[in-house]
Amino acid sequence: MASRRRMLLKVIILGDSGVGKTSLMNQYVNRKFSNQYKATIGADFLTKEVQFEDRIFTLQIWDTAGQERFQSLGVAFYRGADCCVLVYDVNVMKSFDHLNNWREEFLIQASPSDPENFPFVVLGNKVDVDGGNSRVVSEKKAKAWCASKGNIPYFETSAKEGFNVEAAFQCIAKNALKNEPEDEIYLPDTIDVGGGQQQRSSGCEC
Amino acid sequence: MSLDSSSSSSSGDEYIEENPNSNPKMVDERFEVLTLTEPVELESNHMGDGSDIVNGSLNRERNGGDEDDDRLQVENQEIFGEEGPSSPSSSGYAGERGSSSATSASRVDEASEIDDNEIREVRNDGSLEGISDSQASSWVPGKRHVDEDDASISWRKRKKHFFILSNSGKPIYSRYGDEHKLAGFSATLQAIISFVENGGDRVKLVKAGKHQVVFLVKGPIYLVCISCTEEPFESLKGQLELIYGQMILILTKSINRCFEKNPKFDMTPLLGGTDVVFSSLIHSFSWNPATFLHAYTCLPLAYATRQAAGAILQDVADSGVLFAILMCKHKVISLVGAQKASLHPDDMLLLSNFVMSSESFRTSESFSPICLPRYNPMAFLYAYVHFLDVDTYLMLLTTSSDAFYHLKDCRIRIEMVLLKSNVLSEVQRSMIDGGMRVEDLPIDPLPRFGSSPHLGHQRPPTDSPERPREPFIGIGGPAGLWHFIYRSIYLDQYVSSEFSPPLNSPRQQKRLYRAYQRLFASMHDKGIGPHKTQFRRDENYVLLCWVTQDFELYAAFDPLADKALAIKTCNRVCQWVKDVENEIFLQGASPFSW
Repeated sequence: MASRRRMLLKVIILGDSGVGKTSLMNQYVNRKFSNQYKATIGADFLTKEVQFEDRIFTLQIWDTAGQERFQSLGVAFYRGADCCVLVYDVNVMKSFDHLNNWREEFLIQASPSDPENFPFVVLGNKVDVDGGNSRVVSEKKAKAWCASKGNIPYFETSAKEGFNVEAAFQCIAKNALKNEPEDEIYLPDTIDVGGGQQQRSSGCEC
Repeated sequence: MSLDSSSSSSSGDEYIEENPNSNPKMVDERFEVLTLTEPVELESNHMGDGSDIVNGSLNRERNGGDEDDDRLQVENQEIFGEEGPSSPSSSGYAGERGSSSATSASRVDEASEIDDNEIREVRNDGSLEGISDSQASSWVPGKRHVDEDDASISWRKRKKHFFILSNSGKPIYSRYGDEHKLAGFSATLQAIISFVENGGDRVKLVKAGKHQVVFLVKGPIYLVCISCTEEPFESLKGQLELIYGQMILILTKSINRCFEKNPKFDMTPLLGGTDVVFSSLIHSFSWNPATFLHAYTCLPLAYATRQAAGAILQDVADSGVLFAILMCKHKVISLVGAQKASLHPDDMLLLSNFVMSSESFRTSESFSPICLPRYNPMAFLYAYVHFLDVDTYLMLLTTSSDAFYHLKDCRIRIEMVLLKSNVLSEVQRSMIDGGMRVEDLPIDPLPRFGSSPHLGHQRPPTDSPERPREPFIGIGGPAGLWHFIYRSIYLDQYVSSEFSPPLNSPRQQKRLYRAYQRLFASMHDKGIGPHKTQFRRDENYVLLCWVTQDFELYAAFDPLADKALAIKTCNRVCQWVKDVENEIFLQGASPFSW
């Protein structure tokens, strides 16, 4: 048996199409970037082992499609997530405005036990574009929104240059871990045959 | 498996006189007019392209045989790829393997031995060649190839994968490879299942080339098998059900509540250290007929010996033990249940697999919570387990978590009685002697009376099982009988003959096992069955199956065997089983009214 229990964290990446969700993931997992845009169909899955404090755990990253036609997949995909990453493009105002929808949609569909404290992380991506001259969402504005939603950690990233990507995912792992509930003792019932009546599952006596 | 418990006679009784099928001629006629039907591969409602469905009623048995030829041949290439003397890469099936990765000839070698390496590794150890039951004992426990993941070519080439995952896509168990490294693959499986579920539907089977992907959803637990072994869908599904049952045996179905409370729930820690239990169960899918017959088998013993064992077990059962089970490997010596309590054969299979595969049970007496999924899947029982010798173990099941010392006392009493009445030495002897052998099938179907020697073994002791190996005709039993399995429906028990030449190698035995499995599935197919009789001939065997209210007989003959003679021989086998039923079956156990 393993000396220390390994953990697996399910991380969902959400955001409008084209904000760079797949690129962020590729930069993080494979340290690769491509300028070519390829729309994600449904969802992509990647895994990465991460060390955090002296523990090793596995991030199971669900890179979802941003297009609206895939939204129906929500419930199934979001179930049992440990952390949700919201991504927008600092050069596209609409993608920032939509963060609220993405967050609410996630909370409705995943229905986590404690929605107030569910760990989100917000990433403002593509800060490299045009040397920052085409930027329309200021860091201040983004941080204000994050603060209003229960102090969501915020990172400005560039998937292209790899800027801040590692740090962002470290934070994602940390937050997901923090949310881990205390281990409960697993104690199923014992069969009670008192009174000479045995219990038996239904539907087996055929 | 529902059965007619109202049938008054035990297996095979009185069929000589009363059962119209008993007359060999009449059985033969039945075969002439019978519509033989090829097993239909089941499809899910929506998935699967259906292009490779073999479907249709075959009105001529010979056609049936032909059809089967093709399919078995393919299977042979796959499973027994390196058997032939010719170079494995010459068969050109590299391209058929359907892997997306480039396949070089040298890879084919590797691929073809993958599924057999259990057997192979042990044969290097040398000792077990040609021993019947060898598969049961020669398998090396534990999980292998932990370093693999879905990117490994070797992983992709494995013939049969099993996965357990949660409905949030978190991996719980994988037969091959490291579960954490397979997290992405696991997520993909969940996405497929959930996608179909979202449409209000269920995916059961996806076919991709030669691969079948079989899905089983059990509440928050998803089970998936990916196989290119050409086993019938129903068989693979049954295997997934057993794997789920094994999980329930370890944890109970209360696990569902953990997922209700917390969808993120990771149950792998709760299953810590049970890899060997699952891998041993999966291994048994390729040698243990109990996994598809849903029946158990007994160690052959003189009636009085089994009675003696049963009496002392009954004694402790009366003192608050729910079930008392004495087993030798996977064979039952005796078992007793408290009033009204009955044990399902699947539960016995899962329980004995759990006990035999966990090394710690062998080292000391143990007390462990276990759940019998067919008895009550929601709650734990407690099992006192003690090995009386290397292969023989006693299991006392109770509902009381503080009964350890009481059960220990029971065990000491039982052990003393078993020693005094020589049951344990008889068990040892039976292990050495083995069970029924086709060579010993009485030519003259006269019933024998009195205390015949063990199973009527008539061969002189000098006639060792190691006969000269001649691969073909002329060996085995009368009329080219090679092997049989007889399942008594009323008793929920089966008896399987020992493997005799020419079924020497584990590979041949596994092939026959798979053939029986296929035969069983086709006889019990809900869409086109159930059938009463089936006779099929291919290049490997003549297979004959006969199902009545009381029993099912599966027999394998030399491929050149004469049909009329084969049918006559099957009648003799049934008579033989009837003659020795007191030795090979546990009689008068609590009724199995499932």
